[in-house]
Amino acid sequence: MLSIKYTLFSVSGVSSFIIFYMGLVNFLTSAEESTGLILLIFSVFVATGTLLATVHISRIITEPIEKLAKSMREFSKTNKRAKGYEIKTNVTEIFQLNDNFTAMEEKVERTIEVQNEYVEKLKDIDRKKIEFSSMVSHELKTPLVPILGYVQMLQKENFLGDLNDKQTDAVNEIYISTLKLQRLIGDILTTQKLDLGKLDFNEEDTNVSELLLSIVKEFKPIALEKNIAWKMNFDENIHIVTDRDRINQVFSNLIKNAIDFVSPKTGIITIGAKEQDDHVEFFVSDNGQGISADKQSEIFKKFYQIDTSTSRKRSGSGLGLAICKGIVEGLGGKIWVESEENVGTTFFFNIPKKPSAKSESV
Amino acid sequence: MKKSQKEESQKMKILIVDDNEQITKMLTTFLELKGHQCTIANDGNEGLNQIKETDYDVILLDLAMPEFDGYSVIKNLEDSNTLKDHKIIVFTASTITQDELENLVKRGVTAYLLKPIDIDLLHSKLVEIADL
Repeated sequence: MLSIKYTLFSVSGVSSFIIFYMGLVNFLTSAEESTGLILLIFSVFVATGTLLATVHISRIITEPIEKLAKSMREFSKTNKRAKGYEIKTNVTEIFQLNDNFTAMEEKVERTIEVQNEYVEKLKDIDRKKIEFSSMVSHELKTPLVPILGYVQMLQKENFLGDLNDKQTDAVNEIYISTLKLQRLIGDILTTQKLDLGKLDFNEEDTNVSELLLSIVKEFKPIALEKNIAWKMNFDENIHIVTDRDRINQVFSNLIKNAIDFVSPKTGIITIGAKEQDDHVEFFVSDNGQGISADKQSEIFKKFYQIDTSTSRKRSGSGLGLAICKGIVEGLGGKIWVESEENVGTTFFFNIPKKPSAKSESV
Repeated sequence: MKKSQKEESQKMKILIVDDNEQITKMLTTFLELKGHQCTIANDGNEGLNQIKETDYDVILLDLAMPEFDGYSVIKNLEDSNTLKDHKIIVFTASTITQDELENLVKRGVTAYLLKPIDIDLLHSKLVEIADL
């Protein structure tokens, strides 16, 4: 990189030399000695003058520009005005250049300051939001304790006295709603923990067929009640080291969704598992109304509820699939959906057979 | 029949430590109908005094209480080396992790229950403790 300074010096050096050389030639070839001498002296003066002028120009122009350039470089690195780069100049153009740069620096600094303030504010809002929802879920759980306790007592025979049939029905309805509320609060807390990266994962050797059988056992009564057929499809003897309870939670959420989506009597729900290299692929499949392509990417978002004219009353919180995604990803796997409208929906998720080093260290 | 006779015979002296009066009232209703004898303490300090004064078969201890909370009660008993002399069931509604609860059990707490409390689960824990 050739700086202005050196260009200037070499140009002035060369020109000084040419002037001096021409003076010398003139002197040697001149007819009249005195004229030649005067010309030689003059050429020496001019050459010296040129060199001095170059030094001067370098001091008043190139040095401040170099300083400004350094200052800019520093600024671009640190986004802060560096000290020791104050520029004193009488050259209007350099003065303006410096002035404009200073104005720009100040503006950038202010913008960054404002930006940082916003970032801090957003962080604060996020913290408060988390604190708030944590407090709310805690405060919601406390009054649930006596509600659930008394409802359970009322449901016992010969405990708080006998109820007539209508009262028994009423108490049962209260009980169902209380459990739903409890589950909703639990879902909010789980989502929160996932957001904070605070959800704990256990690792235990899990027999996949046992796991699936226990899930089917859990949901069989509901399926029978709603006249929905069950199918299972899994490879025998798959073992996986993972968090059994969390996998169960994912299945529960997916099955609850499937139950909401299928029609009674014709509804079929299939759950299964397949071994694939270092993964196990699980699935929950239904022959329900299906999910349109444009909604398939939305459904894993928090509080998303599929709302169509044909949808029956939904019991979920809209957090179920977001929780499934959080859990599956927390266990090192992936979850996805394949669906065709009016044909059915299959949710797949795969889980590594052994937790990766990353999830172990978490 | 045999089982219910056995249950009938397990009358326990129970201390309930919780700052929420509706919860203590509900628990008392349930436990007294099950034939147990209940004492209530409305904060950790009162609870600790009761524990030191009287010999209880089981202590139901809420972890989250203002000022002197359940953890402080446990810490205090630990410091006087008497935590393991008592049968303590802690309960909590807060976002405490499973690991933290397991850790309390390792330290000498008998069992834990998550709020909202399932009273049937509470009953079975009491039966377990009576059988110990």
